[in-house]
Amino acid sequence: MRLPLAALLMVCGIAVPLVVSEFWTFIAIEVLVFALYASSFNLLLGYGGMLSFGHAAFFGVGGYATALLVKKGGLSVGLALVGAPLAAAAVATVIGYFCVRRSGIYFAMLTFACQMLLYTIALKASGLTGGDDGITGIRPTGILSNSIAYYYFTLFLVGMALYLMWRLVNSPFGYALRALRTNPGRLRYVGVPVRAHQWVTFVIAGGLAGLAGGLFALSIGSIFPSWLNWTASATPVVMAVLGGLHSFVGPMLGAAVYVILEVVISGHTEYWPLAMGCIILVLVLVLPEGLTGWRSLQARLRPFGGSGGR
Amino acid sequence: MVSSGPVLRVENLHKNFGGVQALGGVDLEVEKGEFRAIIGPNGAGKSTFFNTLTGLIRADSGRTLFEGRDITRQSPDTLARLGIARTFQITSVFSDLTALQNLQVALLGYRGATWNPWRSARTIGVERSNQLLHLVGLAEAADLLAGTLAHGDQKRLELAIALAGRPRLLLLDEPTAGMTAGERLESIRLVHRIAGELGLTVVFTEHDMAVVFEVATRISVLHQGHLLAEGTPEAVRNDPQVQQVYLGDAVIDAERDDPEGRLA
Repeated sequence: MRLPLAALLMVCGIAVPLVVSEFWTFIAIEVLVFALYASSFNLLLGYGGMLSFGHAAFFGVGGYATALLVKKGGLSVGLALVGAPLAAAAVATVIGYFCVRRSGIYFAMLTFACQMLLYTIALKASGLTGGDDGITGIRPTGILSNSIAYYYFTLFLVGMALYLMWRLVNSPFGYALRALRTNPGRLRYVGVPVRAHQWVTFVIAGGLAGLAGGLFALSIGSIFPSWLNWTASATPVVMAVLGGLHSFVGPMLGAAVYVILEVVISGHTEYWPLAMGCIILVLVLVLPEGLTGWRSLQARLRPFGGSGGR
Repeated sequence: MVSSGPVLRVENLHKNFGGVQALGGVDLEVEKGEFRAIIGPNGAGKSTFFNTLTGLIRADSGRTLFEGRDITRQSPDTLARLGIARTFQITSVFSDLTALQNLQVALLGYRGATWNPWRSARTIGVERSNQLLHLVGLAEAADLLAGTLAHGDQKRLELAIALAGRPRLLLLDEPTAGMTAGERLESIRLVHRIAGELGLTVVFTEHDMAVVFEVATRISVLHQGHLLAEGTPEAVRNDPQVQQVYLGDAVIDAERDDPEGRLA
């Protein structure tokens, strides 16, 4: 991502609530939250080559942590949101310790199993989590109860988190991560403790997803166990693939397109998942590298396709 | 570190795989500056021996010492940071990264510097990476994706990756595998020249006897998990036991063209 693009995104981000209705401001908050969520997933898959089937676990843990800290702990929204990434990162530390011991489909199945474990806890520990009914009424109070103010609050936190992630993927750690995706076996032999790097990445991605979960819980004012169900883990996957893995902005773009399409299509038909499925099918077939990979399409359309790169 | 002792010392290395003996007590000493070949027919235990040395496989018993230090139970990444580098039989580079980035990652890794999550890595080690690319004759390929390079160039890139950490011991697993007969000698001569310039100690496994006799200063012959013979190329070539294992002296003739690179 070049500087002009970052500046453009920032200006757009700041301008949104000034030019759209309150309804769309609310949707824009959702876009921001899911941009962070999908990006945190992309840190695992696009950069680190780790396909997690259980990333919703951390989004959910972040949401529950925030809800519980506000509701039972009586903390302010700001402090509760500090708890979200910390709680999610703590859970990711434990889960990651086991998961990074395997790779490929076995890694995926382990993340899946851990998520289902947390889902069951959220469902059954009703004294704490409210069980099936979830936790409701956790809207922020004071100035953040204003949706425009909450939008800017979210924009600031998501912007900061994405900036940190941007630094990370371009740092020595990020370089090691990219090499890890390509060839973990080789990486060990240039002196990089591969498993430790995977573990730390898993914890960071979990923490960022937790922040997104906390922000989302406060935005809609409630949280339910379904956030932790396995179907919820498909969301960041679809967003990241839609926008383009191996690209920093891809998952953000994918999140925006996904959220907005969902709003628009579900306004017309209750069969919006069907429409979404068709759109994803077409996109994956035509643009296998996602929306940000349009250059590869150009290259393929040219008979002696030139140097279409990432 | 004891400067006068052997660079590598292997003592009584044993390894069984489910009751099948792969290594039955191998002893080996490699002095500084040697270019040591490990040869033997297929199934002799070369790969197991090599993977045990580099920490991929854990030996059942026995010890490995590097510059007098016990490294028997060390992980591959620790060994790499200690100064032992290796290449792979099947060329192994970071194909999604450019040639330059391959070396940047390697430099960061050997230095243990990959934990920094903040500093921009783009300019780190560029000068040294370019020197390394120049050393192996890939200066022009710096910005090409490693995966798009020709096989021979990937081999050379892998050599540069191995050299990036200024290793004192270089382990090459079948360095000329997958090459044509002509490329093999050219390739091993490059390694030989660079190793000489850098004062490296090299241990390599190889099927192609022409390659072995071109560069090896000493040869160790493995057979059925045991060290069958060891000595100068001349002594090994004339060893009746070795000749018997290789089914006659015609096969071990350095002049013989062996396009498959397989002797067993």
